[in-house]
Amino acid sequence: MKIQRLLSLAITTIILVATAQPALAYVLLSPRRRWSSTPVTVRVYNVGNSTISDGSGGVNATVSAIRAWGIINSSTTSSAAVRGSAPATIMLNTNGGLCTGGCLAATLTGYYVSQTGDDRIYDADVYTNTAHQYYSSGESGCSAEYDINGIMVHEVGHVIGIGHSNVSGATMYPSVSACNAANRTIEADDRAARDDLY
Amino acid sequence: MHRRSLSLITLLLLVALPLSASQFIEMPFDRVAREAKYVVRAEIGDTWAAWDDSHEVIYTYATIHVTRYFGETTGPDTLVVREVGGTVDGYTQEAIGFPAIRSGEKVVLMLSSWENGTDLRIHAYNQGKYLVRHRGGVEVLVQDPVKQGDERMGRDGRFDVQPLALEGGLTIDEFASMVEDSRAGNHHDGPIQRH
Repeated sequence: MKIQRLLSLAITTIILVATAQPALAYVLLSPRRRWSSTPVTVRVYNVGNSTISDGSGGVNATVSAIRAWGIINSSTTSSAAVRGSAPATIMLNTNGGLCTGGCLAATLTGYYVSQTGDDRIYDADVYTNTAHQYYSSGESGCSAEYDINGIMVHEVGHVIGIGHSNVSGATMYPSVSACNAANRTIEADDRAARDDLY
Repeated sequence: MHRRSLSLITLLLLVALPLSASQFIEMPFDRVAREAKYVVRAEIGDTWAAWDDSHEVIYTYATIHVTRYFGETTGPDTLVVREVGGTVDGYTQEAIGFPAIRSGEKVVLMLSSWENGTDLRIHAYNQGKYLVRHRGGVEVLVQDPVKQGDERMGRDGRFDVQPLALEGGLTIDEFASMVEDSRAGNHHDGPIQRH
C-alpha cells in the first residue's frame, strides 16, 4: 500500500514537472529566414581541433555528423571561412575572435531582409573555442570533454535557420554537458523545425 | 515516511529538470562579477553598426549612460560598448545567442575589454546583461530573455518576449551586495533569480 502511494506520488510529480515546461516547441530564428535552396552546402575547414585525437582533429567526424539534418551537403575545404560570403564554413581550429570564455561554439549568420518577408540566409560560419577540450565519434572514452559531433549538429541547426528549442531532449535545446553525445542525432522537434523551413 | 517521500520527490525533480549548461557554459555569478572590468547600471543611448576594417564582421556600438558603478570600480559617465552583430545597408549579421543591444533599455551590465583592444563588451555573453524592471515599487533585475537570433515576434505577429522569463529577479540592493561579495573573493554561484 505504501509502495502504491509512493508510486502514485512519484508519477504525479513527474507529470507536474513535465507539464511545468513551457508548452512551446521548436523556435525558428527571428526574423524567419532560410537558404534559397537545398541541400545547403556546409564546408568543414580541414585544419582540425588540436584537442581531438581521431586522426583529423574532428574534421571527418564533423563532416559526417552534420549530415544528420538530411539537407546538408558537407565536405572538407582548404579555404578558411570568409565572413559574409557563402558557403557556410565550420572552423574547428579557431574562435574567430568571437567565442571565448564560456562559449563552446558560435554561429555567425548573415541575411538580407526581403520586402516579401521571405528572408534568405546569405552566409553562416561556425567558430570553436579552442580553450576547451573536445572529443569526437572517432575516439573512445571521454573525460570532461565536449562532443564535437553533437555541438556541430546543434550549430548547423542555427546555420539553416533554427533557434533554441524549449523541448528537453531536442538537439536544438540550449543545453549540453561534458561527455554527452545525445546531440549526434536530430529528434522529432528538430525535424519539425527543419520541415517548417524547407 | 514523510521525509522519505520528500527525498524521493526531490530526487525526481533533480533527475527531471534540464541541465543548466548550454553551448555557452554557464559561469558562476561570482566569477562573472569578479572578472568584469566594470559593473554598471546604465541606459543604452545611441547605437550604430559598422563593418570591421576587413569587412568581415559587423559590430554594433552603443553609447551607454552610466548612473551607478557597482563594487569598488568607478569610471566615466559615458562608455561605449561594442558587440558582434548588427545591420549595415540591409545586410544583418547575428551571432546566435550573443547578447542583443537595444537603444533605450535600462540595464545593468558587467563589462570587460575585448582581447584585441580597449573597447568594452558585455562580459560572459548574456550572463553579463540584466534588464531593470519595476515590480511593486521596487527595481529588480532580470536576465535579458531575448538574445541575438531569438524569436521576438510570435507566430501571430505580436511581440513575444516570453513572459515567464521576466518574472522573478534580484533587487538592485541584493545584486550590489552580491557583486561586492564576489569582488571581495566570496563565492556566489546563484541562484540569479530568487523572487
